[in-house]
Amino acid sequence: MCDHLFLVPRNLFVGFILGWRRAISPIYGNVCRYYPSCSAYGLGAVQQFGVLRGGVMTGWRIIRCNPWARGGIDDVPARMDGNFPLSRHGFVLPKKKEH
Amino acid sequence: MPDILGIILWPFRWVIEALLVGFHTALTALGMNPGDGWTWVLSIVGLVLVVRAALIPIFVRQIKSQRKMLEVAPELQRIQAKYKGKRDQFSREAMTRETMALYGKHGTSPFSSCIPLIAQMPVFFGLFTTLSNAAMGLKGIGLMDLDLATNFGKATIFGSAPLHSAMSTANGNMAVIWVAGVMVVAMTASQFFTQRQIMAKNISQATKESATYRQQQVLLYILPLVFLFSGFAFPLGVMMYWLVSNFWTMGQQFVVIRNMPTPGSEAYAAWEARQLKRNERKGISAPVVEEAPEEPKQAQRQQPVGKNRAKRGKGKK
Repeated sequence: MCDHLFLVPRNLFVGFILGWRRAISPIYGNVCRYYPSCSAYGLGAVQQFGVLRGGVMTGWRIIRCNPWARGGIDDVPARMDGNFPLSRHGFVLPKKKEH
Repeated sequence: MPDILGIILWPFRWVIEALLVGFHTALTALGMNPGDGWTWVLSIVGLVLVVRAALIPIFVRQIKSQRKMLEVAPELQRIQAKYKGKRDQFSREAMTRETMALYGKHGTSPFSSCIPLIAQMPVFFGLFTTLSNAAMGLKGIGLMDLDLATNFGKATIFGSAPLHSAMSTANGNMAVIWVAGVMVVAMTASQFFTQRQIMAKNISQATKESATYRQQQVLLYILPLVFLFSGFAFPLGVMMYWLVSNFWTMGQQFVVIRNMPTPGSEAYAAWEARQLKRNERKGISAPVVEEAPEEPKQAQRQQPVGKNRAKRGKGKK
């Protein structure tokens, strides 16, 4: 339960980003010079690193996505202590406790 | 929690106010009525001109980075051939990944990047805040003093359409509804024209065959809905900014398609033909470069066949 509470803020943002990707992204189409796109990167970053760190990572990525950028592959780095599991829809679940 | 958005917007608002006041003062000095809504509309037009002119370097850089697209075309075709007929999500993603890696390797991309998309947003919202504060009788944060703010807040066009009201806050004011409606139509038309122009003339054959291109085309038909919504929600003054900005895009696109077309597109062929003609007139003979079309390579590796099996195969036939 406590684990779930800890994940509430980031899951709120995950919901927002999922909504953005469904409703807003299609309006301007694919413009990103990176793969995954900035919104997909933002989703991954918030899922794994939370609202604050993930948010800063996303902001920095958007700033990097300018016409002077080389572009190409730029994945969200993996967590040192292992990534959080995700639900089918993309929401973050607590890590399984190791016995 | 500190108002982060407010802090980010503050410098933008200051500059917007300075530009609006600057243009308003200049226009008044030229003999326009300072209380007239059209003087403020022209000030907004001035704001657009300054902002869009400042964004030209970004745009030029964007076009330049698209120029090398022709170089990657053969490799792009190889990737497309490799994933030909594979429609499952996994293959699609792998294909996109490989394509993007290829663009990254060559430092070229058909995509404009994300910054230009949001570069105008702070200006847009800054103008929105400036206008709504003025409408509430508040003075600005910089050069817009109380007199000018009140003046801006009260400004109307066509007699009774205040610049600060939108369709949603018109309260049955038909002038506002009509002006907003006409602007929505004009915005849709200009956007449609710009996109069509790009798609018909300035897209290389390789891009035309990609999935993103088809997706982009669907957009053409969603955009009017977006504009309708904004006409409903945003005040006339802000819509005016957007509309003029759209017209700027249209003109800019026209110049680009004529003078800096995307290699491999229809406009590029027309541009080359014009160049050739000009050179002929000047008496310079251009070297003719002919490229041999590359043989499409087979995506699947041919399985090696042992000597004995090869013989057997022949024998059966």
